[in-house]
Amino acid sequence: MTLEANQARTAAPAQAGRPGPLLERLGALAGRNASFVIFASLAILAALTVGNFASRDNLVIILKQSAIPAVACIGMTLVLMTGGIDLSLGYLVGLCSILSGILAKTLVLPAPVVLLAVLAAGAAIGLANGLITQYLRVPAFITTLGTGYILYGVAQIVSQGSIINRLPRPFLAIGRTDLLGLPSAVFVALGVALVFQLLIGKATFGRQLRAFGFSPAAARLSGVPTARVNVAVYTLCGTLAGLSGLLFTIRVNAAQPNMGGGVFTFEVVTAAIVGGTSLFGGVGSVVGSIFGVLSIKIIENCINLLGVSYHLYLAVQGAIILVAIIVGNLTHRRE
Amino acid sequence: MVIPQAARRGALSLLLFAGFLAAGSGIPHFLDLSNLLNVVRQSSIIGICAVGMTFVIIIKGIDLSLAGLLAFCPMISGMLMLAGFGLVPSMAAGLLAGTVMGLFNGLMVARLAVPAFITTLVVGQICSGLALIVNGGRSIGAFPERFVFIGNGSLAGIPLSDLILIGFLAAGWFIQRMTAMGNHLHALGGNEAVLRQEGISASRLQFFVFGFSGFCAAVAGLLLSAQLDTVHPTQGDAYQLDAIAACIIGGVDLAGGRGSIPMAVMGALVIGCLRNGLDLLGVHPFMQNVFIGSIIILIVFLGGLVRRRQELATRGTL
Repeated sequence: MTLEANQARTAAPAQAGRPGPLLERLGALAGRNASFVIFASLAILAALTVGNFASRDNLVIILKQSAIPAVACIGMTLVLMTGGIDLSLGYLVGLCSILSGILAKTLVLPAPVVLLAVLAAGAAIGLANGLITQYLRVPAFITTLGTGYILYGVAQIVSQGSIINRLPRPFLAIGRTDLLGLPSAVFVALGVALVFQLLIGKATFGRQLRAFGFSPAAARLSGVPTARVNVAVYTLCGTLAGLSGLLFTIRVNAAQPNMGGGVFTFEVVTAAIVGGTSLFGGVGSVVGSIFGVLSIKIIENCINLLGVSYHLYLAVQGAIILVAIIVGNLTHRRE
Repeated sequence: MVIPQAARRGALSLLLFAGFLAAGSGIPHFLDLSNLLNVVRQSSIIGICAVGMTFVIIIKGIDLSLAGLLAFCPMISGMLMLAGFGLVPSMAAGLLAGTVMGLFNGLMVARLAVPAFITTLVVGQICSGLALIVNGGRSIGAFPERFVFIGNGSLAGIPLSDLILIGFLAAGWFIQRMTAMGNHLHALGGNEAVLRQEGISASRLQFFVFGFSGFCAAVAGLLLSAQLDTVHPTQGDAYQLDAIAACIIGGVDLAGGRGSIPMAVMGALVIGCLRNGLDLLGVHPFMQNVFIGSIIILIVFLGGLVRRRQELATRGTL
């Protein structure tokens, strides 16, 4: 709706005198909504070329598979907007998975308590990442690389390499309750997206975050509490990673330390970049990142439907990031 | 308080020696000759990677493509060898693949100003994916005897792996200390403005550094596979953290501009001893990772602390 309104507004004066700029402005409009354009073109391409893609069941599968990475991707987007990165995210997912399994099954705690405890654990680990990065002045990718290995080790030790399955029903209900034909995990993801869209788009925090991402020094000089913003971002990212670990566990009905991992981190970073988040900080949006997740999940889905090796998905994600970076760089240069 | 480089080096060497003796007296069989040779042989993989990584860190980058390259390059060579190609062309193909991937990292950093940790992460991921795809995720093995000899044979009583490590140490040291390029690399990491004033192209240096790091990773990957007589598609994952840790323990400064190749190789030996000692004590590899991850963060923090103090001190005296 707003898209069309914008289009009408920009197109009207162009048609008055010169017909040329219309195309240019349409191009610019597409550029501003690049993540949506990518998503839409992929979806159309897939629907036309891959059999079984455009069925209702398949679209539900894509939505289900996108919900959990979307939650984590929103956290990663915040971190990337500061110009940092969280390489520990996937390992935190694994740790929170095994943690939720232990709390729900071994200790038989009620579901809301498990949920709160896992969120708190994610927040605490994210807070540690933030404090180390901000106050010990260790570069983010080193901090999170280090904590990632630590978390992975801890998850393996705590679980002793084993999987906890057949989790209690009330716990599973958090993400599996059927609403309008979709599991509640999808609605949890939507809720998270809404909250963070408001947080980034409307609240002071969002402005501070963007200012900090563009230029930490300038932000500090103009009175942004940069240290607090930076630490808060890693804490939020950890919390969302914890939530996605919990939802993951519920989806597969098994708590396992190998869940997530480096592969998941990479998937989430890819999605954020496809969603238009800049690696240099300052630029990013929740809506963009969600289209980013949907886009790469469409690609994964097509790879599955075509019966190609799943490993190809890893390599394709890498290629997608490279293309996104190169295209972004070229358009940036032209501007 | 300014700590002179030489004193820091001496302190580190002493610390290493003390730790070595402590490990020797506390851990049974640690000081057995066969175990020590084993430690050096295992460390050679980390050490060769650390030589390339040191250059990358000196120019303020990092190479996260090691994990992928350590599997991808030997996978190429191994597949070719099993397909009946000769030893030399097969190995050359693997080495070329590593170098090309490294040069690609250099291209992204030099021409598109992509942060090094991103492009190398991406390239590493692509390589991991390719290493898994080419043989459907299975490992390959049973290579020609001459290839396995490179990993396990010895010349005049010294394992070939150790000789290769020494070769890389010497080459890295020579480039760093004896050539003009070595100076330029330090300038690129420490004070880029000087480099520009001198009219030296930064991108050529970046191409070299990342290409060289890719080459080192390819050599290390081939050597690892020769030692094990196997290529496993995820065999590199364990070594990336160790190579970074080796550099950091060896005093290579993540802020760029500072670091020495011999010290990084010494760092690799420290990691090798550490892992071996913890193995002998029965500490699980996962716990070892927890330990090494913590060491990295701690040392980077302490290094930053020392650097800020030095900056304060120099500003004070000026």
